[in-house]
Amino acid sequence: MARIGVFVCHCGENISRTVDTAAVAQALGEMPGVAHSTDYKYMCSDPGQSLIQAAIAEQKLDGVVVAACSPHMHEKTFRRAAANAGLNPFLCEMANIREQCSWIHDDREAATAKAIDLVRMIVEKVKHNQPLQPIHIPVTRRALVIGGGIAGIQAALDIADGGCEVVLVEKEPSIGGHMSQLSETFPTLDCSQCILTPRMVEVYQHPRIKLLSYSEVESLEGFIGNFKVTIRQKARFVDESKCNGCGDCTKKCPQKKIPSEFDAGLGTRTAIFVPFPQAVPNIPVIDRANCLLFKGRAKGKKKDVCGICARTCTRGAIDYDQEDRLVTEEVGAIVVATGYQLYTIGKIQPKEYLRGYGEYGYGEIPDVIDGLQFERLASASGPTAGEIRRPSDGKVPKTVVFLQCIGSRDPAKGIEYCSKICCMYVAKHTMLYQHKVHDGQAVVFFMDVRAGGKGYDEFTRRAMNEGALYLRGRVSKMYRDGEVIKVVGYDTLSGEQIVLDADMVVLATAMMPQLGIESLAQTLSVSYDQYGFINEAHPKLRPVETNTAGVFVAGACQAPRDIPDSVAMASAAASKILSLFSNAELSREPMVAHVNPATCTGCFHCERVCHFGAIQRKEVRDRQGNLIKVIAEVNEGVCQGCGTCQATCPSKSIELAGFTDAQVFSAINAIFA
Amino acid sequence: MQELQELAKKLLSEGRVQVVIGYEAGAHGVRPAFVTDAADCGRLIFDPRCVHNLAVYLSPRRSPVKRLGKPAVVVKGCDAKAVAGLLRESQIKRDDVVLIGVRCSGVLADPRSGATLTGETVADKCILCDLHEPTLVDHLVGELRPPLPDMPRVSRRDLMLERISAMSPAERWAFWQAEFSRCTRCYACRQTCPLCFCEQCVADKSQPQWLETSPHPRGNLAWHVIRAMHLAGRCVDCGECERACPAEIPLGLLYRKVAQIVEARFKHRPTEDPEVPSPIGKYSLDDEQEFIL
Ligand SMILES: Cc1cc2nc3c(=O)[nH]c(=O)nc-3n(C[C@H](O)[C@H](O)[C@H](O)COP(=O)(O)OP(=O)(O)OC[C@H]3O[C@@H](n4cnc5c(N)ncnc54)[C@H](O)[C@@H]3O)c2cc1C
Ligand code: SF4
Ligand code: SF4
Ligand code: SF4
Repeated sequence: MARIGVFVCHCGENISRTVDTAAVAQALGEMPGVAHSTDYKYMCSDPGQSLIQAAIAEQKLDGVVVAACSPHMHEKTFRRAAANAGLNPFLCEMANIREQCSWIHDDREAATAKAIDLVRMIVEKVKHNQPLQPIHIPVTRRALVIGGGIAGIQAALDIADGGCEVVLVEKEPSIGGHMSQLSETFPTLDCSQCILTPRMVEVYQHPRIKLLSYSEVESLEGFIGNFKVTIRQKARFVDESKCNGCGDCTKKCPQKKIPSEFDAGLGTRTAIFVPFPQAVPNIPVIDRANCLLFKGRAKGKKKDVCGICARTCTRGAIDYDQEDRLVTEEVGAIVVATGYQLYTIGKIQPKEYLRGYGEYGYGEIPDVIDGLQFERLASASGPTAGEIRRPSDGKVPKTVVFLQCIGSRDPAKGIEYCSKICCMYVAKHTMLYQHKVHDGQAVVFFMDVRAGGKGYDEFTRRAMNEGALYLRGRVSKMYRDGEVIKVVGYDTLSGEQIVLDADMVVLATAMMPQLGIESLAQTLSVSYDQYGFINEAHPKLRPVETNTAGVFVAGACQAPRDIPDSVAMASAAASKILSLFSNAELSREPMVAHVNPATCTGCFHCERVCHFGAIQRKEVRDRQGNLIKVIAEVNEGVCQGCGTCQATCPSKSIELAGFTDAQVFSAINAIFA
Repeated sequence: MQELQELAKKLLSEGRVQVVIGYEAGAHGVRPAFVTDAADCGRLIFDPRCVHNLAVYLSPRRSPVKRLGKPAVVVKGCDAKAVAGLLRESQIKRDDVVLIGVRCSGVLADPRSGATLTGETVADKCILCDLHEPTLVDHLVGELRPPLPDMPRVSRRDLMLERISAMSPAERWAFWQAEFSRCTRCYACRQTCPLCFCEQCVADKSQPQWLETSPHPRGNLAWHVIRAMHLAGRCVDCGECERACPAEIPLGLLYRKVAQIVEARFKHRPTEDPEVPSPIGKYSLDDEQEFIL
């Protein structure tokens, strides 16, 4: 006969107000198999837990039922208490007589009767509970970081400094991300490159970081602690082991007029190029689409057209026949840090829900640029060596109009969210501009100035004090009029229409996730929102975890983020990973599905319904090695214990430990029998 | 008929299969035939009395048949759908069987009557049939006859179901209870069903015992509801269970109702395509779930 202890909690008055807890304890005490039954004001309190522990010892209990709140609240508490008293924690269960009873009923008598039924069900269940042991899964203490912007760099460095290996995958030829394009950074106006490049070098030199630049994640298998990633290393056509980064090839390349991505199209580069002088790794890449030799080959020319770079290179590093390589890496955790890109106002949009700005000429008016282009103009390493000159004719603009919230907060254009950083960088831009052009006038059209953050509001106010003219309102129209751009707007504070002659207009366009992020997210099985931003597991309590265990998120791929936010997230993700890696094994709750090999028919309904891909196929053979049948098998590392397979299996051949058919059946029978 | 016999002969004599599973004339009408000798192929026939769904013999748990070696099976459209079900649910591999499809214009509701096929004598499933020429097959033999001039436009079961749904819940309950009360739990319906291939049926499970095994109204109801659920979207409407039932319980009526519900709710109808999962074996975020409060 079972010896089960029942402990009925008053939850202060939360339960006892509606349920006669003493009556429940008494009724249960009379039930066969219940050796001990009592009630108490707060079972979760220290004295309450001691009560349970003492009863386990004195009454030699082999099962415990705590009738109290939802197991979500305190199952862990009571299981730990039971374990401390020497009982297997999985022999302790909760009956929920608060959320499922006292809180939703008024009739004391009926509620008490229902509470008795609820507790009887769990007692019957516990009679069939088996002691369970946590599952241990080995952990590969090695992390993959996807994206080498500031977020990815920070995460990689933190994990590597914590003693674990990191594979950093960056799809561009160099790490650095958008921060490498910025001139000065708010709120302190320190030079972006000066604070970023030391970290880039540190990544490159770190003994525990393996940098795979110009590479992308191709596929992923496995689960937390045990991922296997396949990475495509795109052909650079330059042998990394031979190149010493002298740059002779890039000087000789005859294709010199290619718009530079790094300079946001304002400068030019060659077909064999290093994106910027401080690039890491400092190894060039041949851009096939613009290289004469590859264009020739694409046209089917028998003889190679150019080949100057190969002839220039003294080290023989150029290899036109290099091919993409697939490498596989085993890792235990992953950080997604793929950053952002900017919305553009053009007519043709990359996504169906986005609209361009016809009223601003769809970006066709010269000298209407975006924020990143302004960063390049203001940057000492930029195409104008830091002088603010407008792209069309190189003149120094005397009136620059900055427009905030372009795309952002504009449901008509398809984006409802606030990009968060634009108020700050527009303020920064006005200061950079006025510091460089002393007789220039910066005019800002804004909806609100949102500058929450340490030193942020002070920063925007400083911009206003330094002479930037802030007009509250939107610009309804913009068109070219000779040398100037007519900007027609409305100042909602004075109630006047305003027409300005601008020499240059800078648009603070919305931050969006990288295009193609959805397919990466699907490869990693992480969810994303309607815009493609990666979803965090919980907006407040689990901000850097995703819904897939072992995959974390950092930086602007989760939502618009500035550098301090991105770095904080990256360090948070790194610390989560380091704590995951602090043990050689991962221990997890044993509530996973098990297949009964004798009765499994191998129909694989379970495989098709398992949303987590936890079901594998296993061959059953006799001693002579003849195949008898193929049956289902659960990968304990992947199974989330949802129970979908159990509900589906027609022959009842798969069940969750802790929720077996026998347990559920007896619980149901307790109220119907 | 000759075409079928010659094909069977060829398959056997060339050693491509070891047994041809088809139909032959027996003392009490047509019965399944297992021809292992090429010389015996003259026994094989196909006519409107060939109602049996021979796909049932492909189940890996029919070991006496399995021991005969690689089979070729004669399949009508509905039978081919059952083969697709076995493929879909990993019970057989496509290469393990040769499928001889027969063009079928309909079979008799009562094969033992030996009546000529008319709108009156045709099986109800054939009124609903959408596959007179199976395509999943390796060979296709026979000819389609011209459509029956007096073929009913609406299935007899559908008319009956309309009447049943017009009943009050109490009347409906009484109707089905009366039908199920005759069930003796012989499980002939299960044994003859090509898609009831479980290693151990839930009805035979004793730890815990989900349904009472004695022919008691409560256990009978549970049995028929469970079987209907397990066949939802999988039943190919071959009608074999109803034909096997010694108690003449209108099982085909019950499964037709389920098929109507599945089609309305999940836009699903069992087909010959083994790649399309049935709703019971599919997880979709788009599934309707308005019934969850
Ligand atoms: C005009 C402007 C001015 C700004 N000024 C400031 C400022 O002054 N101060 C401040 O704090 N913030 C500023 N920001 C914000 C700042 O740029 C971001 O906060 C920061 O760059 C975010 O870093 P990240 O690493 O998350 O993303 P990113 O910098 O975008 O880096 C992402 C990296 O991931 C790589 N990647 C993308 N997809 C893949 C893939 N599939 N596989 C592999 N790699 C991939 C990208 O190539 C890139 O290297 C400014 C932004 C703009 C637009
Ligand atoms: S659903 Fe059940 S019988 Fe089918 S493969 Fe899975 S465990 Fe086996
Ligand atoms: S319990 Fe859920 S996660 Fe685990 S195998 Fe079954 S369906 Fe998959
Ligand atoms: S064949 Fe008929 S009597 Fe036998 S179990 Fe099935 S329904 Fe019941």
